[in-house]
Amino acid sequence: MTDSFPSALTGPSSKERKYDRQLRLWAASGQQALEESRVLLVNSDGPIDKQKTTVSGVVGVETLKNLVLPGIGGFTIVDPASVTESDLGVNFFLEEQSLGKSRAEETCRLLKELNPDVEGTFSTTPIAELLQDTKFLPAFRLVLVSGPVKCSSLDLLCNASRELGIPVLYTHSVGFYSTFSLQLPAEFPIVETHPDPETTQDLRLANPWPELLEAGARVRDLDTLDDHQHGHVPYVLLLLHYLEQWKETHEGNVPSNYKEKTEFREMVRAGARTNNPEGGEENFDEAVAAVLKSLNPFSLRSNIREVFEMEECQKLRADSASFWVIASAVNAFYQMHRVLPLPGSLPDMKAQSADYISLQNIYKSKARKDLEEVTETVRRIEGSFGAKRSPIPEKEIEVFCKNAAHIKLIRGRNIPRIDRDVTVQSSVRMALGIPESLAPISIAFQILDAVVDQLQETGSTVASIDDNETWDKQTQRIIGVLKAEDPEYVDEEVEEQIKNATQELRRTKAGELHNISSLTGGLVAQEALKVLTRQYVPLDNTCIFDGVKSRSEMHRL
Amino acid sequence: MTRESYLKRSLGTTLSRRIKESRVLLVGAGGIGCELLKNLLLTGFGEIHIIDLDTIDLSNLNRQFLFRHEHIKKSKALVAKEVAQKFQPSTKLEAYHANIKDAQFNVDWFATFDIVFNALDNLDARRHVNRMCLAAGVPLIESGTTGFNGQVQVIKKGDTECYDCNSKEVPTTFPVCTIRSTPSQPIHCIVWAKSYLLPELFGTSEDETQDFDHSEDAENAAEIENLRKEAQALKDIRGSMGSEDFAEKVFNKVFMTDIERLRGMEDMWKSRQPPEPLDFATLQEQSGSVDNTISLNDQKVWNVTEDFVVFKDSLNRLSRRLKDLKEKTSEKDVSPILVFDKDDVDTLDFVAASANLRSAIFKIEPKSKFDIKQMAGNIIPAIATTNAMTAGLCVLQALKVLKDDLANAKMVFLERSGVRAINSDSLKAPNPNCPVCSVAQGRVFIDPTRATLNDLVRDVLRLQLGYGEEFSLSNEIGTIYDPDLEDNLPKTLSELGVKDESFITVVDEEDENPRVNLELVIRVSQKLDEPAATEEKKPVTLERVMDIPRKPKAATPPPTEQVNGTTAHEPVTGKRKREAEGELSNGYERVKRVASVAVGSGDGADPIVLDEADGGAILIDD
Ligand SMILES: [Zn+2]
Repeated sequence: MTDSFPSALTGPSSKERKYDRQLRLWAASGQQALEESRVLLVNSDGPIDKQKTTVSGVVGVETLKNLVLPGIGGFTIVDPASVTESDLGVNFFLEEQSLGKSRAEETCRLLKELNPDVEGTFSTTPIAELLQDTKFLPAFRLVLVSGPVKCSSLDLLCNASRELGIPVLYTHSVGFYSTFSLQLPAEFPIVETHPDPETTQDLRLANPWPELLEAGARVRDLDTLDDHQHGHVPYVLLLLHYLEQWKETHEGNVPSNYKEKTEFREMVRAGARTNNPEGGEENFDEAVAAVLKSLNPFSLRSNIREVFEMEECQKLRADSASFWVIASAVNAFYQMHRVLPLPGSLPDMKAQSADYISLQNIYKSKARKDLEEVTETVRRIEGSFGAKRSPIPEKEIEVFCKNAAHIKLIRGRNIPRIDRDVTVQSSVRMALGIPESLAPISIAFQILDAVVDQLQETGSTVASIDDNETWDKQTQRIIGVLKAEDPEYVDEEVEEQIKNATQELRRTKAGELHNISSLTGGLVAQEALKVLTRQYVPLDNTCIFDGVKSRSEMHRL
Repeated sequence: MTRESYLKRSLGTTLSRRIKESRVLLVGAGGIGCELLKNLLLTGFGEIHIIDLDTIDLSNLNRQFLFRHEHIKKSKALVAKEVAQKFQPSTKLEAYHANIKDAQFNVDWFATFDIVFNALDNLDARRHVNRMCLAAGVPLIESGTTGFNGQVQVIKKGDTECYDCNSKEVPTTFPVCTIRSTPSQPIHCIVWAKSYLLPELFGTSEDETQDFDHSEDAENAAEIENLRKEAQALKDIRGSMGSEDFAEKVFNKVFMTDIERLRGMEDMWKSRQPPEPLDFATLQEQSGSVDNTISLNDQKVWNVTEDFVVFKDSLNRLSRRLKDLKEKTSEKDVSPILVFDKDDVDTLDFVAASANLRSAIFKIEPKSKFDIKQMAGNIIPAIATTNAMTAGLCVLQALKVLKDDLANAKMVFLERSGVRAINSDSLKAPNPNCPVCSVAQGRVFIDPTRATLNDLVRDVLRLQLGYGEEFSLSNEIGTIYDPDLEDNLPKTLSELGVKDESFITVVDEEDENPRVNLELVIRVSQKLDEPAATEEKKPVTLERVMDIPRKPKAATPPPTEQVNGTTAHEPVTGKRKREAEGELSNGYERVKRVASVAVGSGDGADPIVLDEADGGAILIDD
């Protein structure tokens, strides 16, 4: 027995201890998903002009840093650039002796030092060449791209990723501005959305099941209870008790509108004993506070209704993802009972511990029963496809049932390109309509992309990213595209804002500020973590940051 | 292209130069601190001083990227400096492995910096730095994170709100009797295991801790006396640590004998379910098949037999550790102790198993070790991404300060609401009733051998500054003087914890037109560069007699009590002449059921405070 002293200090728990502070956010399941993920960073795609200006890729490295620390499985850095003097002043993951060496190799080496659990490789071959090997891309769960890159390379990468269902994050950081967009697969369901606990309470007081009704009925004569007992009846049971009284005088209906609920609340409030030093009872206070939000009859939220109505849910195939199989089974449950499976959790409340536990058990066992029913349906569906499907783990079905009401499905969009996509044009126009909108910054970055693209054209004689003519031409072209449908959308003021934003990019010659790129690396990595853990709702689909105003905005472009 | 070409282009030459010439202080080298140090270096700051008292722990490595496995147990500040310096050799870096509250870091020292950054994890140090920066007139960039959320605030005396202009969340409190006699929730049992059982067996026991202020309330006296006897009996058992039957003795004492005594108090159980003692022999018999590696499974809620096995195993581990420590310590030194640390597996296992055994006795829901760790350690989730964003925002605000563009500096929040992940708000003007920043300031020189509280109260405050009868004095120990607390008057200031460079706050309590609070910085005048205290000289002298403004007239009285979140729990030294009226006679049922964890404003732990029946407090967190 005494031998266990050293083993408890090291051993299998050391990883849990290292990651403890983040396990509190995404639990062991999220951590496992992270550890199974490999991330590709395309940190530059060769020089962007003839003066060999290169994207310094700080935002890419800083993003990766924030993924290596929490322990992704591995990463690959693709970057044909060599380390220059100016890189040293802006990139923390390079050092004096890195000068002149491969930037991919040096940043890979220094990032790997952050976490021995993470495996890292690099390549100095341009991404377009690497993609010729069709086995290259499928190894990754996420692609990060530091812009601007050649339009042709970005297209190759985004198209290939979309086909493989791999999310892409395309990032820009120049001067005080940054922006990034997330391209998700066509359907991206999130089961564990982690909604605010306040909004997730599902007590079913207006739709009680027999065992809960029975527990409520046991609280019959409150007047006979002594003060201690009276002050410790759990508020859930108090509400059930008063609801029965209410129903007697309201034709069996529960309070349904605000006026009735207020009336009902007064009825509950009047039940509290006030002849004590506190002048009231805490359990009654809790009951009164819960009236407005806990008496609503069950209704299906639009997010889950949408999932039920989708073709993937209606028409299962032998190779349907397990998400759709479970969704279909939960839909069957809903069609039968007109409620979703009970999540089964009970909030803390004033109560004697034994009473609390028995009430908790009523909720838990109902949740278990609902889960069993859903699981049975899942197994039946699997059976109908014969041996072609392996059974979905029970745990996965359980997590789905617990979170059913808050499941979210994102329909992935492409990396937005104003000059290509009319829907992007109309969403950009909408975004410009918001007061103090940051959309001009996003437009400026698209102009930067267009400028870089023009410089890369075969036969282009323009030497430098500084070239006024190219900037003016592309600025006018993009503004023209936005004005095409209706010139009203881009008035003089907006045009001025767009030009001012391009000035910031031109002034700094597309160079990064470490602080802005580090901050943006935090924002980007946060979205990457959500995508990789499949927890929390990720960005849909563009975020813009203005470091002058310390403000960010999200737009669906 | 040179190293600084990007910077100069983006920031302009004037600001770049200001940044290069500035001297900044970074308080805290943790999650935000590591990121800040990196960003400050690569933004070109010329001189950075970094201070942190902490050493590096395994659980830091998921975000504090300057630290590696081989740095565990080393000083955060020193390692951060060493690692970061390599990447930016031209910056002057100074590191201190020290407590920012040490007297050497006095107001004059703070005044040598252009900007101070707070990257702290606790309320107490935050408040201290806030106060020092206000006194020194140095702008402060305050920051904190909780999980995915973060915030940054610019503080400048006279121009903006200070850290204490708004009330801060008060730590959760529990009456001692709830913890010791009538637990009803898991947290009560966890606090019992962590703050009573563990310290009684391996730490500084209750009687030696002055934080305990035993109630004199007659109604509680009997039970308090019983509890004292119980603790004494446990201490006797502590003597047999290391013997074969130590675990059985401890177990029988706390899970059987003490429970039987409680059960015997029939009044207590008239409407509560009485506790059921546990039997050592029965559990011993059942536990044959349970391996002690069960303690490694922190997600499973253990059954009572498993709790029993982990209890014995961890008790044994802790006993061996204490024995090893004692063997290494010479007799002259202070006897070694073991204290709870959420990241120390042995103490955590012991607290988890003991708390669950007690829960079984009181029919309370058991919890997994993972959950108990969160509740006992008051763990606030922390990740690299939030720290990166928060630190970046700190630097952006610092640039505004350096440009003297305070009008455009912001209070920034990281949160997901509406379309924005980063929201900002204009800085607010100081709260005229703030007990910290709306104060007058002064300095007094004291002769530590002679100066008494009476000298300060009578000679300085009444005679020189014109205070009336009604005012109170407090320092970091608590209230040292008020009209009902005159016992301390003959004591020397040194006896009352008044040290060089410490603060005393004077609160004018006159109903009519009271003065704003006065904050006195104490200087012990034996230093060569200050006026020497001679026989002729008074033991307490004021640097200069100043005019103290009156409080602004408000419809409501100044919210001193609420604004300073700890006021209500400040311990009182000495005896009060009259007790506050209407206080509850016992602490049994007045505490709210507490929802799992209080949200703190840092990535460390906020203290849990045990709230005794008469308002005394026991600080039980690290
Ligand atoms: Zn203030």
